[in-house]
Amino acid sequence: MTAFLRILVFAVVATGVPTGDAAAQSALDRVRQTGVMRVGIDATYPPFGMAEGGEFSGFDVDIARAIARELKVRAELVNASFDGVFPALQNGSFDVVISAVTITPERQQTLLFSEPYIDAGQGIAVRQDSTITGVDGLSGRTVGVQINTTAQFAMEQRAGVTIQKYNTIDLALLDLRNGRIDAVASDAPVLRYMTTLTFQDLKSVGSDYTDEQFGIVLAKGSDDLRRAVNAALWRVQDSGEYARLYARWFGEAATASAGAGGAAPSAIDLGVIARTWPIFIRGVGLTALMAVTSLVLGLPLGLALALARVQPQKAVSVPAAAYVEFMRGTPLLVQILFIYFVLPVAGVNLPAIFSGILALTMNAAAYICEIIRAGILSIDAGQMEAARSLRMTYWQAMRRIILPQTFRRVVPPLTNEGIALLKDSSLVSVIGLTELARTGQELASRYAAPLTIWPFVALLYLLLTVPLTRMAQYLEDRWRPVTRS
Amino acid sequence: MIEVTDVVKRYGATTVLNRASFRIAEAQLTTILGPSGCGKSTMLRCLNRLERFDDGAITIGDVQVAGGAAGAGSRADEDDLVQRVREKVGIVFQAFNLFPHLTALGNVIEAPMTVKHMPRAQAEEVGRHYLSRVGLAGKESHYPAQLSGGQQQRVSIARALAMEPAVVLFDEPTSALDPRLVRDVAKLLRALDDLKKTLVVVSHDLDFARAISDQVIYFEGGRAVEAGTAAQVFEQPSHAETKAFLDSFNEGANPVGAR
Ligand SMILES: Nc1ncnc2c1ncn2[C@@H]1O[C@H](COP(=O)(O)OP(=O)(O)OP(=O)(O)O)[C@@H](O)[C@H]1O
Ligand SMILES: [Mg+2]
Repeated sequence: MTAFLRILVFAVVATGVPTGDAAAQSALDRVRQTGVMRVGIDATYPPFGMAEGGEFSGFDVDIARAIARELKVRAELVNASFDGVFPALQNGSFDVVISAVTITPERQQTLLFSEPYIDAGQGIAVRQDSTITGVDGLSGRTVGVQINTTAQFAMEQRAGVTIQKYNTIDLALLDLRNGRIDAVASDAPVLRYMTTLTFQDLKSVGSDYTDEQFGIVLAKGSDDLRRAVNAALWRVQDSGEYARLYARWFGEAATASAGAGGAAPSAIDLGVIARTWPIFIRGVGLTALMAVTSLVLGLPLGLALALARVQPQKAVSVPAAAYVEFMRGTPLLVQILFIYFVLPVAGVNLPAIFSGILALTMNAAAYICEIIRAGILSIDAGQMEAARSLRMTYWQAMRRIILPQTFRRVVPPLTNEGIALLKDSSLVSVIGLTELARTGQELASRYAAPLTIWPFVALLYLLLTVPLTRMAQYLEDRWRPVTRS
Repeated sequence: MIEVTDVVKRYGATTVLNRASFRIAEAQLTTILGPSGCGKSTMLRCLNRLERFDDGAITIGDVQVAGGAAGAGSRADEDDLVQRVREKVGIVFQAFNLFPHLTALGNVIEAPMTVKHMPRAQAEEVGRHYLSRVGLAGKESHYPAQLSGGQQQRVSIARALAMEPAVVLFDEPTSALDPRLVRDVAKLLRALDDLKKTLVVVSHDLDFARAISDQVIYFEGGRAVEAGTAAQVFEQPSHAETKAFLDSFNEGANPVGAR
């Protein structure tokens, strides 16, 4: 996935096609005119970025708002996985990314950075009873990192270190606690914050072993916006607001306060559910919306494809077969990324939700096609012959004789497909859609309560499948093939 | 009514019909007899164009069907030909091929409604009529799976009759039935005499053929070896092959028949 994203970014950048409105309008003009600065952030990274439903908090969030205020616009925060934020910035979905991004020469080749807004070296976290005292003790050990971060790059430079990559930092810390890995490498402020507040059985050790600085990221070509952001940043620093924000998130007071979760991390804390259930409902809603829409649209599309494949005219059946082959032969995740990140290069710029639904629909249609086709082929050839011998046309026979028998047979496999769709829809989180699984990810890191959050997420998925299986059962009963009683 | 002239049908290298020629008289019950694998079913399928053939010609009333290149017209021509052939020729399949999702009545009225656009009420009237003709009054709302093999066959016969073809083909109507039912089928076929249909029955059951036939065609090696009235063919076969077939039959354990 990572390699693919790199290629995507490269493709977008290499073609040199200006994306979004950049061609017509400068980035700064666009922000000024709309009055909105769209900020991409991976809000699973306390204390820089945290989210609870639509509510964002953290140092990066405060910086984003302060800068927006200086620019006299509103900051619109969009939560996306760290993997997804850069392609989204490239394709014009965001104006800036403020997400604890380290300024590196490699990133500077494809992206613009503001002046640094915070120094943040790399640190190491280990279990309380660990004998590892710093970065030099990692040789021969397994170290967890968040995917595509500078911590990963740094560990890749060190001999003898086995790297384990995680989507979010709290998953790495959890695995450390569970003993599967020996240490976690990440930005030192984050590790200090997390070990103090939510992972008290872990500790950060050693001094920072790299000097890194975080910058606000912009797409190539947004030079005027960068100048404005830099100026805004200086004003925030000069006015003393920066110092206040720093103290709020990294000072004594921050670590002394109960913090976001405050719960003992290993306990099942139903209080978290009580507090966050409306956010979960939103996640459930999005997941259901995506899955149901894709299923409802995918069914007729899949049926049409199946009919195209079984009818005798090659000019129709071959393209249909090729479509199915293509959609089944490529991962859904890649299809989602393609539609959202690559199509804009060709001028097709769909909002995330439509991109997600489109990808899920097109993918589901291929599988539904094959289910229905198998159903049609399982009907005895004598049925078509009998219908044709009674002078029905091919399509009359299909509609009146073959398909009604097919539908009875394909209800169970189609139910499977519907359930698979429900679960596969979690992949759309990569384009910044906070559906149920991503909601779980967000809240699990926000509250460091994985033992509460994940079983609850599983339960919600289970509840979502119930109406589907109920409906299937109803159809099966209604259409039960008449057999000898 | 039907004239078959030098019909050739090949499946790859094997020639299944080898210059088959015969006539079938109108409003008669003609049986095509012959050993297994001699091409009887294939001949029947050529008669209602479920199968194309490679050479020769078939004439059904005023419809001409040519084999091979001469017969292969455009798709539209072929569709049109198929329609004209099947307007005249219905078929009762060996395995009946009933529509399992429809009731007995539903099976019978489906084609009149979709093909002839008959209103449902009228189609049902026709359907009930033919179901009662084949002795299934009262079974209209049964599904095929709820009917015995013999009853399923009757539904299948009613279904073919409801489209009112001049010719009805029967492929091995006795093969799926137990001996007692064979007699019932024979009676049923004879009871259709007043409809003045041209019936063509493929069988290798000699006793059954004897019980029902007006005319008999003896098939062997993909061609009609002998044809004539039932009396002629059964009592005085003029060809050695026919005689051998009849003899082999008589030698075997005499099956329950209508004799
Ligand atoms: N679709 C096909 N492809 C290849 N060969 C076929 C095909 N259909 C039939 N045949 C061959 O053609 C020959 C005649 O078959 P057909 O079914 O017409 O025989 P039949 O006289 O009806 O025999 P039976 O009395 O056993 O039903 C057989 O040798 C069979 O194997
Ligand atoms: Mg046969």
